[in-house]
Amino acid sequence: MVLEDHAEGDFLVVSLKDKRLDAVIASNFREAMVERIDRGQQKIVLDLSGVLFLDSSGLGAVVAVLKHVGARGCLHLCGVTPAVMAVLKLTRMDRVFKTYPTREAALAA
Amino acid sequence: MTGTDVAAETPLLLIVPATLLDARSTTERVMALCQRLSEADRALYETAVMEWLTNVVKHSCEHLHGASFFVRVDPSPDSIRLIVEDCGHGMPPGQFDAAPAEVYFDPEHIGELPESGFGIAILKTVMDHVRYEQDHGVNRLTAVKRWAS
Repeated sequence: MVLEDHAEGDFLVVSLKDKRLDAVIASNFREAMVERIDRGQQKIVLDLSGVLFLDSSGLGAVVAVLKHVGARGCLHLCGVTPAVMAVLKLTRMDRVFKTYPTREAALAA
Repeated sequence: MTGTDVAAETPLLLIVPATLLDARSTTERVMALCQRLSEADRALYETAVMEWLTNVVKHSCEHLHGASFFVRVDPSPDSIRLIVEDCGHGMPPGQFDAAPAEVYFDPEHIGELPESGFGIAILKTVMDHVRYEQDHGVNRLTAVKRWAS
């Protein structure tokens, strides 16, 4: 699993470079993101523009990250591809996550 | 390559090691037979297939070192049928049928959001027909998806 970090003001932009956020990497993804939050990164933009597949394990990991951020900060998703959005809609998680078409839009929100 | 090809031609028959990496690559192989699904259906079908293979690996075959499972894919003129068989622990009787096709939660209560439990709900929602049965130590899922929704 490859995550790339990019600081933008108060935000940390994290790009997942894997094409699949699934059961294979979900646990590592969750741990890596929680580690960033515990280091003090409370405002995060998660760039999923390269992710073409999401399963419930991956979704559960993103939900866990959102819950870990809690009320202390925020988690914005950007670049959500149609395949990933389809899973968010099917599970009704599209009502939970704030999604933005681009990284810039997420940072400006 | 994942698993062992029993036959290269359709139907696809695979014996798959019970690992998550093999579940992933098997899902990708199944999707190679799904060109007739619409783009929207393909995305969700792929997720549904991965959900069940992950379930087999993580739960049915949990702690069964060296376990494998069997996958058969039968494309037909109007649909595609997936059969997955394993000889692992299986699900407790009635649990599959009792699992809801939708996971309920309040989007406003972030702290109470579910982090799991979506897999079978996705499977039941995406597939047009799904059946789980256990017979003489074999756990079998049969899932049918029509090409046109």
